[in-house]
Amino acid sequence: MVFSSLTFLYAFLPLSIFAHYISKNVIFRNLTLTLFSLVFYAWGEPMWIFLLLFTSMFDYAHGLLIEKYRGKFSGKLVLVWAVIVNLGLLIAFKYGAFIWDNLSLLFTLPFERPTNTLPIGISFYTFQTVSYLIDVHRGEVKAQRNPMNFLLYVSMFHQLVAGPIVRYQAIAEEIENRIVNWRMLSEGINRFCFGLFKKVIIANTAGELVEKYLEAGFTDLSSYEAWFGITMFSVQIYFDFSGYSDMAIGLGRMFGFHYDENFRHPYAAQSVGDFYRRWHTSLGKFFRDYVYIPLGGNRKFQLRNIMIVWLLTGIWHGASWNFLLWGFYFGCFMIIEKLLEKVLAKTPRILRHTYTLILIVFSRAIFYFVDWERLKTFTVKLFHSENKINDGFFVDLWEHSFWFVAVVLLCIPWDEIYPKDSKINIKSTNMLEYFRPALNVAFLALSTVMLVDSTYNPFIYFRF
Amino acid sequence: MSHKINVIVFFLLITLGMTSYLVIRPKRISIEEKRKLTTLPELNWDSYVSGKWADTIDKYMNDHFPARLKMIEYAGIIRYARGVHIKNQQKIFVYQKPHKRIRKNTEEASKDTVPNFLDDFEETYSQSMLILNGSVYPLNGGSPKMGKPFANMVSEYAYNLKGKTRVFSAVAPLSSAFIPAEKYRHYNGQNRRTLEAIRDNLSNGAIFCDVFKSLNDHSSEKLFFSTDHHWTAQGAYRAYEAFCKAAGFEPVPQSKMQKKVKYNFLGTLYERTRDQSVRQNADTFTYYVPNVTTSAIKYGPYGYSGTKSGAFCHGSSGGNSYSTFLCGDQPLTKITTSVKNGKKVVVIKNSMGNAFSVYLISHYEEVWVVDFRYSKHNLMELIEKNEIDDMVFAVGMYAAMSNGTIGMMRRLATQKGGGAPMPTPSNDRDSSAVLNHSTELKDTIK
Repeated sequence: MVFSSLTFLYAFLPLSIFAHYISKNVIFRNLTLTLFSLVFYAWGEPMWIFLLLFTSMFDYAHGLLIEKYRGKFSGKLVLVWAVIVNLGLLIAFKYGAFIWDNLSLLFTLPFERPTNTLPIGISFYTFQTVSYLIDVHRGEVKAQRNPMNFLLYVSMFHQLVAGPIVRYQAIAEEIENRIVNWRMLSEGINRFCFGLFKKVIIANTAGELVEKYLEAGFTDLSSYEAWFGITMFSVQIYFDFSGYSDMAIGLGRMFGFHYDENFRHPYAAQSVGDFYRRWHTSLGKFFRDYVYIPLGGNRKFQLRNIMIVWLLTGIWHGASWNFLLWGFYFGCFMIIEKLLEKVLAKTPRILRHTYTLILIVFSRAIFYFVDWERLKTFTVKLFHSENKINDGFFVDLWEHSFWFVAVVLLCIPWDEIYPKDSKINIKSTNMLEYFRPALNVAFLALSTVMLVDSTYNPFIYFRF
Repeated sequence: MSHKINVIVFFLLITLGMTSYLVIRPKRISIEEKRKLTTLPELNWDSYVSGKWADTIDKYMNDHFPARLKMIEYAGIIRYARGVHIKNQQKIFVYQKPHKRIRKNTEEASKDTVPNFLDDFEETYSQSMLILNGSVYPLNGGSPKMGKPFANMVSEYAYNLKGKTRVFSAVAPLSSAFIPAEKYRHYNGQNRRTLEAIRDNLSNGAIFCDVFKSLNDHSSEKLFFSTDHHWTAQGAYRAYEAFCKAAGFEPVPQSKMQKKVKYNFLGTLYERTRDQSVRQNADTFTYYVPNVTTSAIKYGPYGYSGTKSGAFCHGSSGGNSYSTFLCGDQPLTKITTSVKNGKKVVVIKNSMGNAFSVYLISHYEEVWVVDFRYSKHNLMELIEKNEIDDMVFAVGMYAAMSNGTIGMMRRLATQKGGGAPMPTPSNDRDSSAVLNHSTELKDTIK
């Protein structure tokens, strides 16, 4: 099920909220939330629920074992085993066909090519459970004793299918004891409605332009249109994913949970490194804490560690060589930035910002085109095309002009320009609060109208 | 306090949305969109596991949202408000996701009272369309290579009916031939060449009606609707003139017909594009009624058990205005006129032929109209038993370009969907008599 669907907005959401608030008993609330989460997950592709349940119960049991043998060699063995099983499932279900395709080029394989669909959200919940097991092993959190509570942590519908990747320690307390007040509910609603608006009004509109400029053949495509198309994909992916994260964070608040932020105005970044401190931060933190630092961080083999993290980040996104190339691309630029740190610091802001945007927008082409031939053709079009600009291009520019303004305004980090304690921020926040109910109604109504007139519109990160 | 208001307003809205599904009675069909709406699916293990059940629920929620059509209209307004719109802008619309058509088997269709919405839209506008000043045009001009199969099919009929029935080809061009922009001028030539290819391949005495020339000579007139994929009554009149020229008739001047006007016609192309410039350019539906008294019977796909119909349905309005002609698409319609000349014509048509067929009532005592997409009647039998004088293929260009539709027209000669009716006795012209007569033929229906 997707948040941006009428089924979710006008059936699942009201029912799950009523079920949750019908009693103040936290056990009852956890039970209903778990049940609704399982229904949410099973919507559309019910069979993968068994994999989710297996993973949850496996990790629940292994969490207890790891805690029991913490500090001993057997504890380490249990951890290694549990991580291997988790990653093994991820590899088998997500990368099975990819591995088969590549190995079959070298050997005759004794088994058929896996044909399963990707279990939705597997990349996210596997990382959540792995982080839990490692944190228990490190003694940073206590193992969850109640299997129902652990299942709730893994399956919570707010962030199950597309993140943010929530660490167990961030919500361990709230699973067992959480308080929801009017303020929290209201903040959750604000965040949810804003996320819905970002997804339906901004990302889906960008998606229409992406389809028009990147999905059709490239025969008539001029370089300007190619850059426009890929820029629109950059807009789409940001508003789609950050919209989802906003909705997840908002839903979390409505149910009494506090999830960490996942985005901080990434298109305002001054370097590639800065960009990834603002983009999908929950994934960045995961790789930092569980891969980069254990490998030595910036103390030893830093450049190697950076490249490993980026190759892993790339392949995490999908079972395809283009994602690996995408990871390599960023690994290289991260290393270059590290080596030229001082030069970069002296470069004017505007140049740094432009350089970053160009690199990021270009990287979207590597991300978008899974097919090498198409990627190659498109890249050539980006830099050289003898085609003239089609008339329709200018029509598109004019017909989306107000929308472009909205996109730019929403990409500007206003809270960085005007810090929270600044006069203008305080004043505008107070004013905004006054209009909040009307604003939320507008966001919800606009989104509903557009959803009624649309077909299935899943989030891009669902496929990761 | 503001937090409380915020929470209460939000929950009220989503709860209201939810309860509306329980309170409002779901509709079966959407007349405006010409499609069947999703019904609540049956829950069983297979449908659940395959995900079809959940998928259908999602579709049901979309199809039955309160005031859905209004919402869709508002969605168009929101899209329009995304930027600045300049006059004379040319934009390309790609029609990608067709709704599921109401396509039922013909046995069922004949019993059911639900209107049959099949038309030639799906196949004809499945590619890019140009929106220019609020008018929609297909970006296609046919293909001369495809003229031959259609001409061959028409020629086969001419061969089999030689000496008994004249066979005419009156294929309509696409509106792309008349796009008022220099850039798209080449579609005019493409349309012409495509229709000329039909002319060049006709044989066995099949007669070509130069519909393109007749329309092209009057290209400044409103020949096609801006918001619908059909031609206007004016466009069809120019085609009728071309037919008259080929058949040796004197066309009845429009001044001798009764002019009628309907307003705010938003047709299929608006339904598909939902473009606001198209919406603001709603068509005026003008049509001409010849001064001839008629009675009509419509038949189901099989047999000759008919019900009363009309050459015109003046009550059709709004998005359904084009159904004014022949009261919409019927498998078979027989129009009996007050023209006592003993001449009979059969028109083989898709929906484009509706606006054309009604002009023929001025020249024939009986006008039989066969919609090749639905009729299972044996055409040769119908022609022979009723001693039909003329046969006209009045279809849109896409129908003449597709092997599938050409095959359907060819099959009319051999299919056996019920015996042909006996000729109407010359002294018996009222529809009730014909109805009684048709009832006698009921036994032959299979």
